[in-house]
Amino acid sequence: MGVRSTSQEMSRETQERRAHSSSSSTSLVTSLMKSWRISSSTTSSSGSSSKKKFTQSHSGNPTTTGTYSDTHSHDQNPLRHSNELGMYSLSRSSSSDGNFDAMSKQQNSTNRSLSSSNNTYSPLRYNSPSTNQIDSPRASLMRQKHNKHSHHNQLYYQHNNSSAISESSAHKKSSDKYFEDLDEDWSAVIDNYNMPIPMLTNGGNGKSVSGYGNNGDSRNNLSRTSTASSMATSLTSNTLTQSQSLQYPQLPNLNTLDIPDTEKSQEEMENEREVQELNSIMQRITKFDNIIKNKHIINLQDLRQLSWNGIPKPNRPIVWKLLIGYLPANTRRQESLLKRKRQEYSEGLKHTFSDEHSRDIPTWHQIEIDIPRTNPHIPLYQFKSVHDSLQRILYLWAIRHPASGYVQGINDLVTPFFQTFLTEYLPPSRIDTVEFTDPDTYLTEEQKMDLEADTFWCLTKFLEQITDNYIHGQPGILKQVKNLSQLVKRIDLDLYKHFEKEHVEFIQFAFRWMNCLLMREFQMDTVIRMWDTYLAETSPETILSFASSNQVSNSSEGLMSPHTPLSRKPATFSTPNVDHVSPASSVGRSNLGANAANQAIASPVNVSSSDDSKRFSHTSLNEFHVFVCAAFLIKWSDVLCVMDFQGIITFLQNPPTKDWKETDIEMLLSEAYIWQSLYQDATSHWLK
Amino acid sequence: MSNPITSIKLVLLGEAAVGKSSIVLRFVSNDFSENKEPTIGAAFLTQRVNINDHTVKFEIWDTAGQERFASLAPMYYRNAQAALVVYDVTKPQSFIKARHWVKELHEQASKNIIIALVGNKIDILEDNENERKVAREEAEKLAEEEGLLFFETSAKTGTNISEVFLGIGEKIPLKGLEDEHNNNGLNVTEDQRINLANTANASENASACSC
Repeated sequence: MGVRSTSQEMSRETQERRAHSSSSSTSLVTSLMKSWRISSSTTSSSGSSSKKKFTQSHSGNPTTTGTYSDTHSHDQNPLRHSNELGMYSLSRSSSSDGNFDAMSKQQNSTNRSLSSSNNTYSPLRYNSPSTNQIDSPRASLMRQKHNKHSHHNQLYYQHNNSSAISESSAHKKSSDKYFEDLDEDWSAVIDNYNMPIPMLTNGGNGKSVSGYGNNGDSRNNLSRTSTASSMATSLTSNTLTQSQSLQYPQLPNLNTLDIPDTEKSQEEMENEREVQELNSIMQRITKFDNIIKNKHIINLQDLRQLSWNGIPKPNRPIVWKLLIGYLPANTRRQESLLKRKRQEYSEGLKHTFSDEHSRDIPTWHQIEIDIPRTNPHIPLYQFKSVHDSLQRILYLWAIRHPASGYVQGINDLVTPFFQTFLTEYLPPSRIDTVEFTDPDTYLTEEQKMDLEADTFWCLTKFLEQITDNYIHGQPGILKQVKNLSQLVKRIDLDLYKHFEKEHVEFIQFAFRWMNCLLMREFQMDTVIRMWDTYLAETSPETILSFASSNQVSNSSEGLMSPHTPLSRKPATFSTPNVDHVSPASSVGRSNLGANAANQAIASPVNVSSSDDSKRFSHTSLNEFHVFVCAAFLIKWSDVLCVMDFQGIITFLQNPPTKDWKETDIEMLLSEAYIWQSLYQDATSHWLK
Repeated sequence: MSNPITSIKLVLLGEAAVGKSSIVLRFVSNDFSENKEPTIGAAFLTQRVNINDHTVKFEIWDTAGQERFASLAPMYYRNAQAALVVYDVTKPQSFIKARHWVKELHEQASKNIIIALVGNKIDILEDNENERKVAREEAEKLAEEEGLLFFETSAKTGTNISEVFLGIGEKIPLKGLEDEHNNNGLNVTEDQRINLANTANASENASACSC
């Protein structure tokens, strides 16, 4: 096997890890953030040099069997403790790079003993240094956020809790033991999580640790012997992260590469893969069904947690409506509420378009000229019936929100709702045709009005969260742009200084990112996946206020259970009901304390909330979005740092995201989440 | 150095959907698309043209037209050497808006700024002259009063597009000879005002940015 094919293997490995990491381990995410950034930027710039990619991530990340010699006891403040760990992992994984200098400085006090024995390729970074970090509640917390299967996490965590954390000294010496344990642990979840096994198996083998990175051939052999059969099955874990599958560019590649060394025929592999993919999709759908079907009260906390990692297409319309607070959690009230809201919408239309109501001509005209140029590349948005629907929705919204009125960009924001809710009316087998089919061919007039009403109300709920973005002067956007620059200054000082040197101002490229929530930067299917997470991030208080306005809020019924995983006060923008809500929040917090003990393992997110409610008290959709933008920008840091003004602006206006898959978006969201977790404390000082 | 390059910072202003982005797209890529997404914030594009053995590089900021984004415009026109104020010959309202932009530029922008008044979408008139809602004479009168270049264009067919930019390019070196000596002069002064610590950072950056 030549060097070339070896490097191909390497890049394949990278891709595989990328695909996998977003769905399982955040510690992997942390350790990969840098290398992925390199790899994506390399891909984008040249699209060829997988070898270079390898070298860069290799040299850029001196991997160490890092042992964490700080107080490893399970102390009273797991968050603080784990926060250090998180920081530590980041600063270390990029310590030679300089981009995280600021962070490193902050973390100088962190005790660490680095035994730099494993200067190996990044899969092993996952295995050796990062696995140590998994021990931390922080990492576990973050993993939880990205993990589809909380019960696996639970096992995992319990396991680590006993074997790793309490025996930290023993653990320090022997990562092998850890890998064995991990292996057992993963094997328990083999039906869902095959992906990590090959890596972990290799990592558990002391010899392979060195062979892996230093010798591509031996690595390949190892991975084949140990994982040949699981290779194909491992692919399916990708599909856990999304409802539709078969879109991963690396899949066919993997198959062809593996076939010569396996005894399975290609057909067999294909079949097996398809079955596994279907299974995992079905499993995920079942998970959602378990939460939303046949329940009197839907547990929105669970729903948010599960949705953060993506919602299967068949579940998406109803879950979005629940997350945004349009549908009440009390299922018995859903029908009547829908009926009422839909009627309200159609009456609103009637009134608005009646003679007694004079048309706001400029607004109508502005919407009229924008609608044909909304998503011009998607056939769905060229149909006359869709134009008419969107025109009605946007116009009604605009005249009902005079402080904001219609602002360009809102025409973009309405489309994910519209398109997603359209799929409700399509048979499951045709969901993917939604972008190509004229809704008039399958919608009755009545259904169309229902669809419009649902879209209208969800858009209304959504824009409520980001009102400041569209009122006069757009203060919400200006603040976000400022926050983004401050964040980048802290996360990636080199990039920040380079922008300064080239006279690039953040507002020159980031205004659109904020105004359209990055929708212009991504393809629609990835945007919709992104919104799964964004809607899971919408602040509960606003939803609560919406609920109370609909007379469905009743604390005993628990529209929002008090210990929601995302119980954060939307402090960065004005929510009229903050005061009204805060008593409930404080109750929630005290509950959290009690619940935390019980739920610490099952739901690390709650651990964080209990110990650190302040930390989460200043977040909102807008704020999370800033972190997503930061992660997005920093992803291209290496390319941007060698560009001049013109290059930078041109690049950022048209970033190479055309081929981004849901896994790429998930990686981005994971990174954003980590940045948010790490910088939350800091941001309370400078993100005002 | 044999072929000196003059950079011209140019900004496009005008009501939404008059065709600002399309004019730029035609000039930069010789392309046209019927339904272009509305510009949000501003878009930056460049194009080089040769004018009298002299290379002129246009650095173009194409701004968003909607009123709500108007507060961003000063950031882009403040240091511009040239501006295209665009209206739609079939939309009288857009001409009113153009008048406002001309007035604002005279009040707020640099004194030497070259302004071209551009009536776009004349291709619509080819089929039906009745579609014209802004008389050519009216626009010419405004151009004369305010000292503007004036063109009627069609980004769709390409009519007069390059003439607009050539017209500006020919006027700029005559007006501001110093620009030829210092291509980046405008940039530097602009940004020094924004960022006083610039020089210190720049030197530090040079060593730090080996990523």
